[in-house]
Amino acid sequence: MDELQSAEETAFAVDEITDIIKEAVETTIGTSSYQHNRINQWTSSVVEASLNQLTKLGKPFKYIVTCIILQKNGAGLHTASSCFWDNTMDGSCTVKWENKTMYCIVSIFGLAI
Amino acid sequence: MLGEQRELLCEADSIMDEFNTGEETAFVVDEVSSIIKESVEGAIGGNAYQHNRVNQWTTNVVEQCLSQLTKLGKPFKYIVTCIIMQKNGAGLQTASSCFWDNTTDGSCTVRWENKSMYCIVSVFGLAI
Repeated sequence: MDELQSAEETAFAVDEITDIIKEAVETTIGTSSYQHNRINQWTSSVVEASLNQLTKLGKPFKYIVTCIILQKNGAGLHTASSCFWDNTMDGSCTVKWENKTMYCIVSIFGLAI
Repeated sequence: MLGEQRELLCEADSIMDEFNTGEETAFVVDEVSSIIKESVEGAIGGNAYQHNRVNQWTTNVVEQCLSQLTKLGKPFKYIVTCIIMQKNGAGLQTASSCFWDNTTDGSCTVRWENKSMYCIVSVFGLAI
């Protein structure tokens, strides 16, 4: 039983982290329209809120959180990421969110210590 | 006499080892920056934005970066992300925040552009 619990506590829980990201994005820009002079503050708020919640989980992980906010203007955007890590313990999670005026893409990478 | 000389040589070797270890295990931003620029130039250097090729380009950039980084042979885990965006007047903002060990981990971001697109590559290195 102890081993099972240890594995759960130290695994990268994708669902839990997805919820944290969605909450952070909704809270920060949920009801807003794209505004050029506020976008800097929004991206900072999203990553900081996400990171705060993640560290509160208290798991033995290092985290990297990235956030992209893109105005809906017909431009093409493509992102890719590649990781050199420990497949058994590390993980990542990406959430794509949108409203009428902008897209928001948040990625979280968790690497076990 | 010979015994003493050997001891001195051994001491000198161990001091050199400590010095080398410090350099080998640090995240060297300039080195990584060069690797990124080379990978981007190699993958999309002379090209204009084409929707049906962007997928392959982003993949090539990250794979090229990662293989060069692993060849450095340092005790790091790496995360490489690449964004390619068409120049269309749209506003784009990216931010990242990291919860890591400030003394050993590091990141490097390179912004590249040509007439038709922007390419932003970030590399994060976390010491094992």
